[in-house]
Amino acid sequence: MTFPRSVDEALNDLAAAGPDAIPVAGATWVMRSPLRHEVMAPVYVALSGIEGFQRIDVTDEAVSIGPLATHDALAQKLPPNPDLKALKRASARSANPGVRRIATIGGNICTAAFAASDFAPALLSLDAQIEVRDKAGLEWLPVLAFLESRKSRELPWLVTRIIVPRTVRLSAHERLPMRKAGDYPCAIASVSIAVDDRGRIHDARIGVGAVEAAPRRWQNLEQALEGQPVDPALTETAARDLIADFTGRDAVDAPGWYRTSVLPVLLRRAFETIRTDYETRAS
Amino acid sequence: MTIELTINGEVRTVTADPRTALLDVLRDSCRLTGAKAVCREGFCGACTVLVDGEAVPSCLRPIGMLDGRSIVTIEGLAHFETPNPVQQAFIDHDVVQCGMCFPGMVMTLTAFLETNPAPSRGEVKAALSGNICRCTGYERIVDAVLSIQDMRKVSGR
Amino acid sequence: MNAVTDLASVVMDLPRRDAQDKLTGRTRYTIDNIGADMLHAVQVRSDVASARILEIDCSKALAMKGVRAIVTHADAPGLHGIGVADHPLFASDLIRYHGEPIAAIAADTLEIAHAAARAVLVRTELLPAVLTMAEALDEHAPLIHPDWQRYELLKEGAPRAGNVAWEAHVTRGDTDAAFARPDVTVVDDCFRVGRQSHVPFEPRCAIASYEDGRFHIQCSTQVPWTVRNVTAKVLGAAASRVRVTVPAVGGGFGLKFDCTIEPVAALLARKTGKTVSLCNSREEEFLSCLCRENAEVRIRSAVTPDGEIVGREATVLMDCGAYGGEQIFLSTMTAHTLGGNYRLGAVKLNSRAVYTNTPPNGAFRACNGVYNTFFLERHTDNICAAIGMDPMEFRKQNVLGDGDIGATGQVFQGDVLRPMLERMEAISAGAERRDPADGRLYGRATTVGTWFVFVGPSAATINLNADGSATLVTSGVEIGSGTMVQSLPQIVAGILGIHPADVIVKTADTDASGRDLGVGGGRTTVSIGSASKMAAEKIREQILEIASEMLQTPPSGLALRGGRVEIAGRPGSGMTIAAVVQRAEELFGPMSGTGNFTAPGVPSLPGCAAGHFIDAIDIPIFTVHDCEVAVDPDTGHVDVLSYRVVQDVGVAINPRAIRSQIQGGVTQGLGYALHENITIDEHGSMEQSGFEHYLLPLAQDVLPVEIVLHEGAPSIGPLGAKGAGEIPILNVGATIACAVARATGRPVAELPLTPPRVLEMIQGHAKALDFAHISPVWHANLARR
Repeated sequence: MTFPRSVDEALNDLAAAGPDAIPVAGATWVMRSPLRHEVMAPVYVALSGIEGFQRIDVTDEAVSIGPLATHDALAQKLPPNPDLKALKRASARSANPGVRRIATIGGNICTAAFAASDFAPALLSLDAQIEVRDKAGLEWLPVLAFLESRKSRELPWLVTRIIVPRTVRLSAHERLPMRKAGDYPCAIASVSIAVDDRGRIHDARIGVGAVEAAPRRWQNLEQALEGQPVDPALTETAARDLIADFTGRDAVDAPGWYRTSVLPVLLRRAFETIRTDYETRAS
Repeated sequence: MTIELTINGEVRTVTADPRTALLDVLRDSCRLTGAKAVCREGFCGACTVLVDGEAVPSCLRPIGMLDGRSIVTIEGLAHFETPNPVQQAFIDHDVVQCGMCFPGMVMTLTAFLETNPAPSRGEVKAALSGNICRCTGYERIVDAVLSIQDMRKVSGR
Repeated sequence: MNAVTDLASVVMDLPRRDAQDKLTGRTRYTIDNIGADMLHAVQVRSDVASARILEIDCSKALAMKGVRAIVTHADAPGLHGIGVADHPLFASDLIRYHGEPIAAIAADTLEIAHAAARAVLVRTELLPAVLTMAEALDEHAPLIHPDWQRYELLKEGAPRAGNVAWEAHVTRGDTDAAFARPDVTVVDDCFRVGRQSHVPFEPRCAIASYEDGRFHIQCSTQVPWTVRNVTAKVLGAAASRVRVTVPAVGGGFGLKFDCTIEPVAALLARKTGKTVSLCNSREEEFLSCLCRENAEVRIRSAVTPDGEIVGREATVLMDCGAYGGEQIFLSTMTAHTLGGNYRLGAVKLNSRAVYTNTPPNGAFRACNGVYNTFFLERHTDNICAAIGMDPMEFRKQNVLGDGDIGATGQVFQGDVLRPMLERMEAISAGAERRDPADGRLYGRATTVGTWFVFVGPSAATINLNADGSATLVTSGVEIGSGTMVQSLPQIVAGILGIHPADVIVKTADTDASGRDLGVGGGRTTVSIGSASKMAAEKIREQILEIASEMLQTPPSGLALRGGRVEIAGRPGSGMTIAAVVQRAEELFGPMSGTGNFTAPGVPSLPGCAAGHFIDAIDIPIFTVHDCEVAVDPDTGHVDVLSYRVVQDVGVAINPRAIRSQIQGGVTQGLGYALHENITIDEHGSMEQSGFEHYLLPLAQDVLPVEIVLHEGAPSIGPLGAKGAGEIPILNVGATIACAVARATGRPVAELPLTPPRVLEMIQGHAKALDFAHISPVWHANLARR
């Protein structure tokens, strides 16, 4: 295990150890590798000592998040503003309190094998930018491009910052575990919209997680909602009409058909939250 | 790798593979067996300890990342003859059954009450969503927590 | 003999003496006693469901540094079982399930043992696997036990054939005539349930040593004497050569009512001459869990327009998995659970334990009863719908009452269920209806249940100490239910007139205490309690006799109270019990008493029951459950809005502890009803191997159960007590299912009611069950020899 003090050191450590090394953030995924019958990586590069990696800075323009910010830290630090509601809720509802105190946002979005990440759809809906460093230097990627590059990008690389831009928008995050809480959700919908002065939806961004193996935006639904009123029932109907866009993932926790059946319901619930916030704002 | 950390107020030097879970170091090397290895994946909470005051599952904490940190286990929370208010409430309400989950329950709830000394029933239950009990059906645990009057004794640990 | 002990001196909410240590992390369970000063063992398990073993090559593994011994079938050729000895400790020629132990390795460290396990070479020839009961009952199905006819029979008289490990039949009256009546409505149903895993927080583990020519096994078990006997049988040793001791057990729920890994540790201890620990990993604990079995039923009833059940026929299939185990015994219970609750005209029941190439099942709290009660109560609601009768009225009219005969012809005593139903009706009528009226579907249901106390042999010895305290020696184990630290010392203390804190309770040690059937089946308070009561009464008699002489007062004029022998009505008079002990030592030596107990036996109707281990139940227990639910029509999530229990307890010796058992048992039942499900994949392996996919109820999924303890029903238990810890889970699946069926208007036929299953039902996509492998002709389902 190495303890780099800087991103450069970390990249050097990873490069030196080659494919045997893995970067470790909160360690909640890697510590369970024996349960997945995986061989434990011989070298852990612990990122916890890197300056600024735990930082969360909130301004009126953006939220800047260090990759080692924990779910719990984010849930506490984020303001309750409607534009950040999706992110705050994703931080506050994932897993369970003990895990939220150690699991990190960077670890969460870098783990490509984890289909039920709460942050991935939330960041998709918030149009986050991901700062990635590798030996070639620094690169800013839209979150979708980042998520898609995770398996193919040449090692070593690190996420070094996440930027969530802030504008006057409304957002929500809905997830459906089998119990009240505590298990991984079988479907997740994150929504962020702008509302024009006629009360119509503009520039909707919808992130969907857990339904398929990888999270993604639901562009057809986003387009269908453009210019529509903020109406939960209408949104659910529109989602049902377009549900063929998804092929639900069959897994032990839920069959694929169930995920696609409930996804429109989650969108309705998300829009119920958004409508409430919109009405509050209007009044 | 050699790691120096404080366990229950005592500075300890541990020599271990840094990937080893804190839980295994506590149980196997320190023979502090109050933290229980039940699910080993962060769902059950039976191995919960305080790391720098935060209640976390020790099965998911590699010992290599804990150099210089302070750990409090159930053995270090209170002397057994002077239980803390959470433990005392559990005794008074006759809540315990098999007992395997309770060290973790006590750790989680002690830390929780320090930051939230007057919780609602729903908040106590939400705080327990990572602590599973297979015997009791929880409600008496929540009753006991809500009966604690003097939270200062909890934080005065 | 002095007058019967005053109940008031026994009944109390005595707190647990083990709470403080458990809460401060000081209690050492077996798993906590595993340390570096012993060898560590692992088992090599099969990764296929069905195969012939051609060769097991341990040479590479044995040559590894730090490996101390490897054992296989050759080291333990004996077979064990219940009813039929069909189960080897390790697979010999055939592998019959995914995960079956093939060898075990003891090494200096667990890491070395695991590495050695990977180095054991097992060459096999794959055989077709029979993964479902439907496949197993196919006439062309391969035999899972080709040698089934050559197995040693441990109990005679049951039909068996091929993949049918055991059958228990009930035949009373002429069902053909009943179903042929022109005035009856015939209701025909099929139901099915999955497996439930116990998930005790302490997995099964054992620490074994070989001392002075005898095995000593410390283990996490509910049945020290079964471990002793099975170990002896499979190792070919005399039972007297095995000693079993049991510290605090971290949960059992029936999983530890069988002997599993203990003989393996013992075998390795003898082979190495060293102390050996063997502990299941959580994954192994799941994959080798002796689950509550999956089961299927076809049941039909002939009911008159005014609601009399004149005929009933049912065939229940219980999946044993690869070996018969508990399911062979539990086939007995169908007569008393599915055949319980209601007065029946003619009845025919067939309970079939079926072999499959899947992990063996076992006993789980109110085993067999939980699903049969679900089957019966859903069937009852279907009957009510078919004849247009109110379900509560139907139940009040038909529940077993004083003098009614049960399925096997036993005569029930006392009106218990009907008054309990009326009590529930009154409570529910007085409570506010909790329909959230938020678009979710609301439903409510009340169900009844019949359970029993698994009595059988127990022994107790009490030594009265010089300080006036008493030491109670039994084979009882404290698994968490509190019996050993609450009801037993309360009973003994009440009889001896001392404080329960002055009753020392010895932990189980088969070298110190007499034989016992184990802690399970709600039997501890009743069976060990009765034996303890007898032992205490013998001592009481001695105390009174000696004190009578010392105080020049007849025994009838004396009372035992507060650690003293007093002259009745004169508190503080007389002398301390310690003084009596001192006198006894001068006269004849230290005072002790022994007690014993066994099933008294209740008659059934001759010829009614075949293949049963218990023809009639000695102590019936009844329960009434009621719940309200809200079902989300969009997601299929079921929210439980209220849950009420009226439970027959005979006499509540520790009411608070009983309420704890009910809250905990109902919660496990909610898991079974709504989420907990073990499924088998196409390779024969369980799909849920940890807490990620096996969903236990969490605090937020639970609600406070409203509880009424119904006292006064007849019981032969000590002071009129009954077992209270098992039955709380009995009716939960049934009650939730009936409420969800009413909420959704759909015929709920399967548990658990997971959100996907409920949504599928609401959307009308769920297929109606109609088992092709259970004939509608009852006789056609009987094993042909």
